[in-house]
Amino acid sequence: MSRYSQFKVFSIVFGLAYLGLFFYSEVTKVAMFRYYPVLGRFSRAALPLETAGPPILWYSWLLGALVIGGALAAFIPRSWADRVPAGWVWITAFAMVVVIVVYERRWFY
Amino acid sequence: MIQVLLILHVLVGAALLGAITHQAFSVARRPTSLGRNFVGRYVGVNSPTFTNVIVLLFAVNVVLGGLLYPRYRVDVRPLLEDMQLRAANGVFETKEHFAAVGLGLLPAYWLFWRTPLALDSAAARKYLTWILTFIVWWNFLAGELLNNIKGLFP
Repeated sequence: MSRYSQFKVFSIVFGLAYLGLFFYSEVTKVAMFRYYPVLGRFSRAALPLETAGPPILWYSWLLGALVIGGALAAFIPRSWADRVPAGWVWITAFAMVVVIVVYERRWFY
Repeated sequence: MIQVLLILHVLVGAALLGAITHQAFSVARRPTSLGRNFVGRYVGVNSPTFTNVIVLLFAVNVVLGGLLYPRYRVDVRPLLEDMQLRAANGVFETKEHFAAVGLGLLPAYWLFWRTPLALDSAAARKYLTWILTFIVWWNFLAGELLNNIKGLFP
């Protein structure tokens, strides 16, 4: 398994980074970039809703998580990655699902 | 074009649903409990052979969903807001987060299902498969709900 052990690190870090970026955007209203479907273009700055329409931030969270997860998985020594217990992957995944459900329940009341 | 993408999204989702549900049931079975009836044959599949297909279908469907997202944001979400269907908006919000978490899990999922299957990752293999199955089912049903929202809530 050691040849691909970094995959465990990637999966854990990707999810945590995605949620971290999402919550950061929720709190600060800041994102790396936004996509404005009405204009059909990306923008680093937040544009006015009246002229630019609604933005999509999901792409920036995904890209950010991909870069952070990929970088950590690439640079972490393989011997360290080998020592990451397999259980951590599903436990963090389960925890992330729970966090999402708990946070997004606000839509259902 | 958007209709073609939407139909493709549904078809890939249905194929993914079938494949991962098969795997989720098969990983739950006890080796001694195999019967020759329908249920026995359903759960008695060779689970590892599904893995690459599941990874591919999941990744493709996230890309398709990403391509459809702008249309949803401009046309569907304002409609949901006009109809005061807050819960439907919430269903989509969870769908996009689950899709992202599931996408990130694919490398580890693939690793744990590599043959020969490692005994020490059996539990991780099982629970990761079940988590992905939950995500796939939720996202499929959420997509269908949103796709048919006008008919369901006239």
